[in-house]
Amino acid sequence: MKDNLEKLLRNALSELSEVGSEEGLHEVRVKYLGKKGLLTQVMKGLGALPAEERPLVGQQANTVKERIEAQLDTVLQDLKKSRTEERLKSERIDVSLPGRRRPMGTRHPITLVIDDIVDIFAGLGFQVEEGPEIEMDYYNFEALNIPKDHPARDMQDTFFISDSVVLRTHTSPVQIRTMLRQPPPVRIIAPGTVYRCDSDATHSPMFHQIEGLLVDTGITFGDLKGILTNFVNQYFGSGTGVRLRPSFFPFTEPSAEVDIACVMCKGKGCRICKNTGWLEVLGAGMVDPEVFRHVSYDAEKVSGFAFGMGIERIAMLRYGISDMRLLFENDVRFLSQF
Amino acid sequence: MIVTYNWLKEFVDFNLTPEELAHMLTMLGLEVEGMRTIGSDMDAVIVAQVVEKSQHPNADKLSLCKVNNGREIVSVVCGAQNFTSGDKVALAQVGAVLPGDFRIKKSKIRGEESCGMLCSERELGLSAESDGIMVLDQQSQLGIPLFESLGLKDTIFEIGLTPNRADCLSVVGIAREIGAKLGTKVRYPGQAVPEEGPPVTEMASVQVEDPAGCPRYTARFISGCKIGPSPSWMVNRLTAVGMRSINNVVDITNYVLLEYGHPLHAFDFKLLAGGKIVVKRAGEGDAFITLDGQQRVLTTEDLTICDGNKAVALAGIMGGENSEINDATTDILIESACFEPTMVRRTSKRLGIHTESSHRFERGADIGNLPRALDRAAALMSELAGGTVSKGMIDVYPDPAAPRTITLRLARVNQILGLELTGKEVENILKNLEFEVSIVDDGVFNIIVPTFRVDIEREIDLIEEIARLNGYEKIPVTMPQVRIRSDRPSRRRLLELKMRNLLVSNGLSEIVNYSFINPFALDKVLIGQDDVRRKMVPILNPLTEDQSVMRTSLLPGLLEVACKNASFRLMDLQLFEMRRIYLEAEGSALPNEPLHVAGLLTGVRDRAGWNRSRELLDFYDVKGIIENIVSALHLSEVTYNASVTENFYHPGKSCGIFAGNLQFGTMGELHPAVHETYGFDQSLFYFEIDLEKIVSLFTDTATVTAPPRFPDTFRDIAMLIDKGMETGIVLDCISSNRIKELAKVELFDVYTGSHVPEGQKSIAVRIRYCSQERTMTDEEVNRIHQKVIENLKKKINVAVR
Repeated sequence: MKDNLEKLLRNALSELSEVGSEEGLHEVRVKYLGKKGLLTQVMKGLGALPAEERPLVGQQANTVKERIEAQLDTVLQDLKKSRTEERLKSERIDVSLPGRRRPMGTRHPITLVIDDIVDIFAGLGFQVEEGPEIEMDYYNFEALNIPKDHPARDMQDTFFISDSVVLRTHTSPVQIRTMLRQPPPVRIIAPGTVYRCDSDATHSPMFHQIEGLLVDTGITFGDLKGILTNFVNQYFGSGTGVRLRPSFFPFTEPSAEVDIACVMCKGKGCRICKNTGWLEVLGAGMVDPEVFRHVSYDAEKVSGFAFGMGIERIAMLRYGISDMRLLFENDVRFLSQF
Repeated sequence: MIVTYNWLKEFVDFNLTPEELAHMLTMLGLEVEGMRTIGSDMDAVIVAQVVEKSQHPNADKLSLCKVNNGREIVSVVCGAQNFTSGDKVALAQVGAVLPGDFRIKKSKIRGEESCGMLCSERELGLSAESDGIMVLDQQSQLGIPLFESLGLKDTIFEIGLTPNRADCLSVVGIAREIGAKLGTKVRYPGQAVPEEGPPVTEMASVQVEDPAGCPRYTARFISGCKIGPSPSWMVNRLTAVGMRSINNVVDITNYVLLEYGHPLHAFDFKLLAGGKIVVKRAGEGDAFITLDGQQRVLTTEDLTICDGNKAVALAGIMGGENSEINDATTDILIESACFEPTMVRRTSKRLGIHTESSHRFERGADIGNLPRALDRAAALMSELAGGTVSKGMIDVYPDPAAPRTITLRLARVNQILGLELTGKEVENILKNLEFEVSIVDDGVFNIIVPTFRVDIEREIDLIEEIARLNGYEKIPVTMPQVRIRSDRPSRRRLLELKMRNLLVSNGLSEIVNYSFINPFALDKVLIGQDDVRRKMVPILNPLTEDQSVMRTSLLPGLLEVACKNASFRLMDLQLFEMRRIYLEAEGSALPNEPLHVAGLLTGVRDRAGWNRSRELLDFYDVKGIIENIVSALHLSEVTYNASVTENFYHPGKSCGIFAGNLQFGTMGELHPAVHETYGFDQSLFYFEIDLEKIVSLFTDTATVTAPPRFPDTFRDIAMLIDKGMETGIVLDCISSNRIKELAKVELFDVYTGSHVPEGQKSIAVRIRYCSQERTMTDEEVNRIHQKVIENLKKKINVAVR
């Protein structure tokens, strides 16, 4: 009997080692452990054994059953594993095919530049202000120390709505409106749309500026340099060279043009910077006492600085755009790149 | 302003290369915008000396010369005879290229070696005709380039002057800046006038009737001039800075203008009736022909220079044809006057005449400089035109301006600039700029401003001069010491930022159009004549008609962009623009500028591809975007009303968007007529939202409820309703049940066609029920669901299937 069981186990294990499919495995299971299976019959035949042999043989039969079941399980796992492996092998896709992209729009580069710059100044505690684009001559010119019949008006070709109303030529009137509305201290950043009647590859009749104004006690020209240097380093990369040189704006004095080291050639000289190594990006200066007089601030008690920059110029530098007109053509092949 | 390196050197000493000079000027605020050299292509033509001249052995008409080129003696064969041994000559060395691409080579002429060529003026392009070779001044330095020796090698600087720097509109003015920066003195050309003729007062008289318009008028009389060409040095100078040479007398006035910056005018004295000058306002409607041959109509705003009976010049702008210098002119009256800037500017602007003269008077002339410029011109006319200068000058200056004085505080200088300059440093800077400085008190100065600095009127102007001359680069970089203050962006800006992000994340791309449009653009989009948007703000001086009114709608611009893209066969567009529109505001000087956002969509819903079918957009894509916006901005009570729409929409496929009773936008498919006008075969969908209307409505702090902890159960209802009835009524009816277990209503089918009776549509709704306290039993759900059905039947009489 014992030999029978051992033989049965040997046969079962041997058959299991040959099994190549789950069906085959099932057959083996039925053959040995099924209701009419070989081992089941042995178990059934236990009753016919003498009583003293029964426990021993019974125990042996159980051990054999456990061994077969364990092996069945192992083989099943192996089969499943290799079947999975085979499936994975056959399920190869072409990852070079284009993906199914979710719809995604883009922001206009002018907006991108404005938002980036506003964020930097917001971080320095500047509050965003806006003003009307159709503006009183008074706010656009007179209060900014640009009287009628002054040659400084030639600096800005103006679109007129009437004798006293213009399309603002710069964002500077926001300075006046803000200072008239609130006492010092003032710390604002004013992005906006401006207009000049001029149109060619480098001029657009409508363009955008960002204006900054800081007025407080004891503000110096050195502070202006500090804020602008900080901005340039944040926006164009730390270590970007900054140079201020004297200039003229009716509403600031002293006034400065602010150059940065050419972002293309790092100051070595190239086509973009006309071989000077410098790019003019900002106009700035200390608020002129005449402007303070117009808004009833005491120029002996407070001082401040203002600065302004052209968004299109910065966008062109930032994104390597050679023709300003691209910014207003709204060709989706251009817009989709941002 | 154009100046040359050599010309500047006449007035001030400096030891700088042209590049260094350009940098220095730029950093002084006189931006050098362009720089070029002239004459350097002739460097191979040098000053040489003939050391031996002998007959050529094989040719009668040629001579054989030994020439010292400064380094060695070379042999040159020459055909000219107008020179002798010892003369300094122009030697074109081997390798030189003369005008006409004439290349000088080493050659043998009749058996004798010739290393170069002795040149005539014509061969060097210096004159049209010449007789023999150039014989140079004995002082000429041996071996240096000829053009350098003649002062023809030069660097030209184009300086972009800011409008405040009237004093730099001259060579002397720029030399003064160089001197001030370097601390060296400027050499003013002190030129004695050889006075011989009778006193000027016997010859001419000047009467100023408008002293406000002409505060000073000086004049000199010169007789016996001979009009002819100017000397080459003067022609070269004028040409170098871009002026055309006319004749010696006119050139002198231009030369002095460039040198001193003061505009002069020369009259043919014999053409001045009564030999006198009267400065007065023009009569209204007077006609006057200016030098350029144009007839001008004048007003009483215009200041004229008249003789005994007629106008002969527009003061400070341009002379008249009737008194112009001509070939027959012999006697000349030179005017050196000062005119009021605003008056000159108004006349010049109105008549559209911008001249070197008006440019300078508009910016302010140096009233103290009049006699100096006049003397310089008179002396040159005597020298170059052979004229005799009458004794003395006429100087009508009834109210001499007192020198301008300004109090300057050292503390203020340092406070504004963030520097720690000493009184001595400040004093030196200002003295270098020719300001007179006296110390009033410790740290307080009294400054007298030279007359040429018309731009310096206040203490701050002086502070700028100090900063400028000291150098902006010396000002330290500091950060402002201010009180910390920070605030959130305004609701308006927050809304703008949110809206832009929402649209971009919904797949729309932002465009930016000009704010001005064609006045007929609204016709094309069917906006009615009595619509408020028809009241557009016109621009008085537009560049083109297409940009002549401020837009009141974003639609025309978006359609134009769609067309432009379609012309490149880019037919799948999902665009938006978020900008202001401009609406007339009753009783206000300025229009309203509400911020609007509009979107235009056409073509496929999603980009088609290898694994995606081409599905076209429809109304519900637009509505989906709006619903996303409404949900993200937490707008409440939003409804869509099909009976409120716009002419440019398809009347059956559009609606107004409301929050409560407030309409804040519209959306829909555009009208077929609009499609046709813009040449679109495929449907265009549009929406427009007035952001100002929802600035106060949106919130970014939604009140949330925790999701139920128990699973929901759903029941479906299929029903038949009238085809024309809005499905929304059914959904609203279901939602309006005050049943707290009713969690969600989902419309999952709308169907018309077979099995649905004519004139009706079938809709199917899934209602999800859920309790916050427990899992609901079927009986509970059935009971509640039955109530919902009863309600539907009772309230809107639907047939539940």
